Amino acid sequence: MLELLKQMAEITAVSGKEGVLRDLIIEQIKPFAEYEIDPLGNLLVRKKGRRKAKNKVMLAAHMDEVGIIVTYAEKSGFLRFATVGGIDPKVLIGREVVFENGTRGVTGLSPVHLLKDSEKDAVPEISSLYIDIGAENDEQALSAVPLGTRGTFREKFEYFGDGLIAGRALDDRIGVALMVDIIRSEIEYDLHFAFTVQEEVGARGAAAAAFSVAPDYAIVLEATTAADIIDVPEHRTVCALKNGPAVSFMDHSTVYPMELYDLAMKVAKDNGIKAQPKAAVAGGNDAGSIHKSGKGVKAITLSVPCRYIHSQNCVAAVQDMESARALAEKLAAELANA
Amino acid sequence: MDIKNILEKLISSKGVSGNEALAANTAAEILADYMPTEIQSSGNVVGFLDGEGPIIMLEAHLDQIGLIVTDIDKSGFIRFAKCGGADMRVLPAADVTIVGKDGVEIDGIVISTPPHLAKDEDKKKFKQIEDLAIDVGLCYEDALKVIRPGDRVTYKKAFGSLMNNRLYGTSFDDRAGVAAVLKAVDLLKGQKLNCKLCVLFAALEETTGGGAAVGAFAHQPDESISVDVSFAESPGVPEHKTGKLGSGAMIGIAPTLDDEISGKLIKIARTKKIKYQTEVMGGQTSTNADKISVAGRGVKTGLISIPLRNMHSAVEVLQLDDVEAVAQLLAEYVLSKGVM
Repeated sequence: MLELLKQMAEITAVSGKEGVLRDLIIEQIKPFAEYEIDPLGNLLVRKKGRRKAKNKVMLAAHMDEVGIIVTYAEKSGFLRFATVGGIDPKVLIGREVVFENGTRGVTGLSPVHLLKDSEKDAVPEISSLYIDIGAENDEQALSAVPLGTRGTFREKFEYFGDGLIAGRALDDRIGVALMVDIIRSEIEYDLHFAFTVQEEVGARGAAAAAFSVAPDYAIVLEATTAADIIDVPEHRTVCALKNGPAVSFMDHSTVYPMELYDLAMKVAKDNGIKAQPKAAVAGGNDAGSIHKSGKGVKAITLSVPCRYIHSQNCVAAVQDMESARALAEKLAAELANA
Repeated sequence: MDIKNILEKLISSKGVSGNEALAANTAAEILADYMPTEIQSSGNVVGFLDGEGPIIMLEAHLDQIGLIVTDIDKSGFIRFAKCGGADMRVLPAADVTIVGKDGVEIDGIVISTPPHLAKDEDKKKFKQIEDLAIDVGLCYEDALKVIRPGDRVTYKKAFGSLMNNRLYGTSFDDRAGVAAVLKAVDLLKGQKLNCKLCVLFAALEETTGGGAAVGAFAHQPDESISVDVSFAESPGVPEHKTGKLGSGAMIGIAPTLDDEISGKLIKIARTKKIKYQTEVMGGQTSTNADKISVAGRGVKTGLISIPLRNMHSAVEVLQLDDVEAVAQLLAEYVLSKGVM
């Protein structure tokens, strides 16, 4: 799983441009399952288990990552952009940027020396930020990076501290890596998998994927905010690293069936797998689209806790990935045979 | 000498103000190929090439801005203060390196509070330095083993190429100045000089200016030229306060600088067709030139700057042609025996 995460860290797959990542996933799973690509670009996979499933269970993880899209070039050669997905402007200033075509740039800022005191701690609007690729004028800039080109934080995947990993887009490359790993292994019951597009711009791919697969149950594998950092009171941390996957009961896009929440926690306990509640009503993910699809789908989300999510440095614990993988597999088997 | 290679080598060695040893070793090693060189107790690197005539000193500062560890919290997170003019706007979720005990480097990430925890008014403001911390992914006991208060912290090294011979990276302020001086020394190799040449790579510019003050006093040059970086044009910055990338060496003109030196630099740039632009300041220059000019009995001092965008961030941007132009101008100036 970690080797695959490292490989994926080299790939830029901002929403709507997930193709390169999808190709890598296909290469990984091809010998182990059947697959198809739907009109939106979702990768839908069927994997045979040792036994036939009573219920259709779909696992889902999104391929896309947050980033930026180029909207305008100044005469002076600087590029203006919009964010794709939610990026806090606070983590976007003075950063290396890599575009999908390999061009590099940096997000610029006025030198702190020339700022008035009142400006020194003011967070700028995204619309006032710009990217410098070294171009001398708009023509040069656009020949290297045409309008609509997507970019994101520079590549990174590193082991960090004690048993942690750090890098960009662990949301949701972690979910992708977990699913690929399950597909490459032997499983108990038949399962469906959706590697989705456009999650970061409104969980759009998942809506189409869930319609096509029409599962009875869905397990969304995600990364979610962990605020277990200094100065944050414990009741505001949402979840903490090294306590296992966070199981959702409600977020901003889904009210989860409590029987699935209870079942996930029970399966974790019965199998000695670490798990924790996602102790906040915050965020949203593909489950928001999936549970409303077709005649309705019972969905649950298992998220690997991740600090500084949607920045160039997401931080997650390797042991939480392992726990999430174990819980996802056991829970899927349970639901398939329910 | 390939100036891009030299620059990358120089920025790869860390040296936050007051703890310049790694950067000093790298700079001294290169300089020693050209002249007798020593690292002094002040932290300065000094090279001296004896000869006939006045002493001309070329100076650039070795140190870089950064942070300094103030406390290791029971949670394992590291509290810090600024060490030089670090910009808090670039800190959330930034990659940093702590140079810990025995020079061991530890990766860290500055914390960034998730937006869902921020009140509306907090969303519009960056946190103050004292409310930030560094995540090293270690528990208190393990962090204590490798980190102690006083350890310096830098942005993690970044280095890459942009269009038009431009580069981005960390600590071009002032390793680009050091690179320009080294390149000038390289250009002078084998040439007959009618002066003594002193090279000073000064410690402590970003905090106290102490390195330049004691360095200039110790060697009491007849004249000195400092090389530092200055602001290059970018959106939102007034044009009259900035130079332009690619328009060459920025020759300083200021009440605190020696007018004769400024004039001669301009004359040389014109006759030798070296790209230059002028930078006029109304008082002090906020560079080591301010310290050197009043060292000992006083030193005639000039200033040449390299235009730089995003100063004091991890992604400073420069154009290599400008660094080359500064090197050429310095070399021609020394060959002309200055103004003495």
